[in-house]
Amino acid sequence: MPYNIIVLIKQIVDIDLLKVDSSTGTPQVQGLPLRLENLSKNAVEEAVRIKEKHGGKITAICFGTEKSTSAMKEAYAMGVDEGYILTGYTGNNPSLTADVISKKIREIPHDIIILGNQSAESYTGMLQGKLSSILEEPLLSDAVKVEINERSATVTMALENENIVAKAQMPVIISVTQEINDPRFPPVMQIMTAGRKKINIEAAQFSPDDKIEVLSNTAPRSERKKTVFEDQEKGITEIAKVIREGMK
Amino acid sequence: MNCLVFSDNSDLSIQMLTYFRKSMDTYLATTVNDVSIVENYGAKKIFHMKDAVFPNDIAKTLENLVSSGNYDYIVIGSTAIGRGVAGILSHKLKREVMAEISEFRIDGGKTVTKRFFYGGKTVLEEKSDATILTVMPGISDPEKVSEKSQVEDISSAESAITLVEKKEKKSGTVDLEKASVIVSIGRGIGSQDKIPLIEPLVKAAHAELAGSRPICLDYHWLSEDRQVGLSGKKVKPKLYIALGISGQIQHIAGMRGSKTVIAINKDKSAPIFEECDYGIVGDIFQIVPKLTEALK
Ligand SMILES: Cc1cc2nc3c(=O)[nH]c(=O)nc-3n(C[C@H](O)[C@H](O)[C@H](O)COP(=O)(O)OP(=O)(O)OC[C@H]3O[C@@H](n4cnc5c(N)ncnc54)[C@H](O)[C@@H]3O)c2cc1C
Ligand SMILES: Nc1ncnc2c1ncn2[C@@H]1O[C@H](COP(=O)(O)O)[C@@H](O)[C@H]1O
Repeated sequence: MPYNIIVLIKQIVDIDLLKVDSSTGTPQVQGLPLRLENLSKNAVEEAVRIKEKHGGKITAICFGTEKSTSAMKEAYAMGVDEGYILTGYTGNNPSLTADVISKKIREIPHDIIILGNQSAESYTGMLQGKLSSILEEPLLSDAVKVEINERSATVTMALENENIVAKAQMPVIISVTQEINDPRFPPVMQIMTAGRKKINIEAAQFSPDDKIEVLSNTAPRSERKKTVFEDQEKGITEIAKVIREGMK
Repeated sequence: MNCLVFSDNSDLSIQMLTYFRKSMDTYLATTVNDVSIVENYGAKKIFHMKDAVFPNDIAKTLENLVSSGNYDYIVIGSTAIGRGVAGILSHKLKREVMAEISEFRIDGGKTVTKRFFYGGKTVLEEKSDATILTVMPGISDPEKVSEKSQVEDISSAESAITLVEKKEKKSGTVDLEKASVIVSIGRGIGSQDKIPLIEPLVKAAHAELAGSRPICLDYHWLSEDRQVGLSGKKVKPKLYIALGISGQIQHIAGMRGSKTVIAINKDKSAPIFEECDYGIVGDIFQIVPKLTEALK
């Protein structure tokens, strides 16, 4: 039985390349390349696997900016059929993101919504619950395994101390973990075709938001001694002493 | 002021009670099986939600609780279940939420919090109207009080989700939380067959062996119960020796309580060197044998 799947994808700056100014502790975000957020990739991969098995259509939604087309093209190359970029994203505010995205979701018939459980850079994990409440669809969170059968989803949820297997009727919202799959690297042909495919770009509708005031955003200062030896022999001698002391 | 604490995890419950009871009257709602673990941490009352399992049902039950009490803040432990609950509750109650906080204060009627950003590379300090918070593990060292909290059983709301099965994660015999020396390995180890090369050091230092998430969860080179980090064990040994671990914040979150941290990594700019007391820049396979020798 084919299913209509919505997958939520976020674009982020490449946090692995992010450097922090050592004197002021401020992050150097300017000029960093943008990329598809890690968990969003797992979400796309899971959607594509469901489509490959059961058939259907995948629609991706990204609340981003005009620059988010590269993220959408990557999702297309992996197997997404249609994409919407809602422009106007200025930063992480889960309530606002949930509001904007839920409005778009309501326009699209769907059986399953897939998103990441916690996005790699902001790490809030708030979108899943917000959407579940706004759209009144049950949340199966932190999935490490998804099975689809006769309009129901059975999901293995990875909790801290146990896994629980849970089942709900569609429409459902599924948030995925990093372990659920290894996102594919699409072949060159698919990337080329994806590059030519139409992307729907619409301005997101929302009232401006200034409820959260950022007081500071700097690298954490650690209280550790940070004595780092580049001279290995010296380091080994010193550290052996520290270990012997610590074993007492 | 009143603060309702929720967690499905007993450690987080008592950490949050200890932290928030300093500035507010605390109440605890929890789904933990054994309430006796949490009843000595100063909660004015414990609401025991025995059979609620899923975020939607727990949020519904909490919504009812909140409507009959006056809670200035609702603080929720950041677990898989907790994060889902917080998002739902924030929308249902029309109260703003701030996620993954590691510090909290009130300033001029506003909420000031700290949380990690950019995957842990920076700390964001924000002032907001948030009155629902999700709280990272490790916010305090739990401290008992002498009186016991009164416990009230709360039956849970109807669920649209069916629980098919619970699968306990296979846990071994290691008790990392009690270890006084831990040698922890990361992806820098390269492959599973290299682990025996580390074992002489583990022995010489009377240590327990642990690992980063990729080692325990993705590759299964060590068992899952040896994973240190945000989604693994929170450890506080006297010595934590990190070998070939880059020091991503999710890992640091699990070992921050260590007294002394030693790191060996071949990349001079690895973030672990910002989180260690002593470090050596170099290849673990060159350094570890010499270090082991020096310990004998
Ligand atoms: C929701 C979530 C929860 C998470 N929870 C956890 C958690 O609980 N625990 C956890 O650990 N991670 C967790 N992670 C993953 C975390 O973000 C990192 O991906 C992980 O910690 C990296 O593991 P690593 O340091 O072993 O590997 P890498 O980041 O790949 O680092 C390997 C390091 O080894 C060094 N190296 C390589 N070869 C050598 C050599 N021969 N000698 C010396 N050094 C060498 C490299 O320079 C590098 O710094 C979580 C992530 C998410 C998104
Ligand atoms: N701006 C956004 N646009 C589309 N999807 C998003 C956006 N922000 C978050 N998501 C999705 O929600 C997941 C979890 O993000 P968060 O709740 O912010 O931690 C991500 O992995 C994405 O799948």
